[in-house]
Amino acid sequence: MKTLHTEALLLRSVDVGESDRILHLLTPRTGRLTVVAKGARRSKKRFPGTLDFFNHLRVQVERRRPTSMPQLQLARLERTFDGIRRESRRFALGCYLLELLDRLSPEGGRAGDLKALFDFALGSLTLLDETRPDAALRTLLELQALDALGLRPELGRCVRCGTPIGAARSRGSSGSGGQSSAAALGFHIADGGPVCCAEPGEMLLPVHAGTLRALEGGLRLGLPQLGRLSLGGQALAEARALVGRFLRFHVGIELRSEAFLEERLTPAGAGGRLAHRDSNADSNARRA
Amino acid sequence: MKTPPPIERLVANLKRLPGIGEKSATRLAFFLLSAPDTLVTELADAMTRMKQEIVLCSECFDLTEVSPCSLCQDERRDPALLCVVEEPADRAAVERTGGWRGRYFVLGGALSPIDGIGPENLRIAELEARARSGTLKEVVLATNPNAEGDATAHYIAERLRPTGLRLTRIAYGMPMGGDLEYADHVTVGRSLKNRQELS
Repeated sequence: MKTLHTEALLLRSVDVGESDRILHLLTPRTGRLTVVAKGARRSKKRFPGTLDFFNHLRVQVERRRPTSMPQLQLARLERTFDGIRRESRRFALGCYLLELLDRLSPEGGRAGDLKALFDFALGSLTLLDETRPDAALRTLLELQALDALGLRPELGRCVRCGTPIGAARSRGSSGSGGQSSAAALGFHIADGGPVCCAEPGEMLLPVHAGTLRALEGGLRLGLPQLGRLSLGGQALAEARALVGRFLRFHVGIELRSEAFLEERLTPAGAGGRLAHRDSNADSNARRA
Repeated sequence: MKTPPPIERLVANLKRLPGIGEKSATRLAFFLLSAPDTLVTELADAMTRMKQEIVLCSECFDLTEVSPCSLCQDERRDPALLCVVEEPADRAAVERTGGWRGRYFVLGGALSPIDGIGPENLRIAELEARARSGTLKEVVLATNPNAEGDATAHYIAERLRPTGLRLTRIAYGMPMGGDLEYADHVTVGRSLKNRQELS
């Protein structure tokens, strides 16, 4: 790369020296790209009002020497997602998604994959700009993020024997009734999918086949349609536990923005709701 | 030749300051070495006294020598009007305008979940207590007009809405001496939205 002209989203910004900034950008050409914006904190003319979160940018980046960090030369504002700044739940989930993408986005890769990842990032900010999120939307966005990052969990068949989950469910339910059919199906976080033929005593996250089908449905939907998918009650509790743990497994640490997101999506009164469901799911997992 | 340990120690300490790298620290250390003794003594004394004498105002949380600060004690200022800013430097910037006759409240930053800064790291609980004290009529949210500042203002507005106080946000628009041609389209758009009648 000598000179790169591309679209970009800002994932992270760190002040360095007296007037510079190191920026982590997500671009459809390179994936995650670390650049230095010289004089970004001093000059009001070079990057006026552009280098901010939730701005869709068009940038020009130059790398003068192969060993040096690329420099941001120009940044033009394409669009700003004002709705995200103006509502704390949108802001909380927006920050969480940016941090997640900053942690997991690749630096380089197949052109089609990088474009799909950028389209997911832009699409999810567009969705958040217009939609007040809840726990269900958070879960579906996390799942789509995993998909865009190439970390999609298996949801349709047993990861050990390949049996479709519908068949596994009917096998588990034969002669034992509804609830025990759920107990027959568990999700193995490290293996990344449901297991119908687990060894006795194996730690699996209990999950209903209906929850897996709902999550698969969520992956098939386009981002603008995500809000239409209804996910409530036990399915939401199971989906949160599954996607949350699967994501934590891949990220490796708790994201810094997660505490604020939890606080915003589980306000006093309404929320005890999700916390309660999560704790149910946790106790289910312990029982399993 | 090896640098003498006292110089090395000073360079190492200066490097801990924001914006100071190895080169700047070395340059400053050698400047201080060749400077008159009085300059070095005064500098060291100024730093020590600043640490000893500066406290946070118990009402506005600005930096001050006496608490409550002179602005909070000024009875000519309207106690019903409160301007909320992120940092002491922002308070000074508003005060320089000469156009604000109310009081101040320094939050101590802005929400920045990506950096792990949540409401519990700011003085939002103290602001809420002040808002419920019964002396206020209007709270002006003068946090910076960037993503974190905007989100902080809206978060505070959500928290203070039940108090029934008038909650306002500083206006967005073109900077004085600015040039429309070089302004970003969001700023120009907001300037048009917030246009004012010429009287």
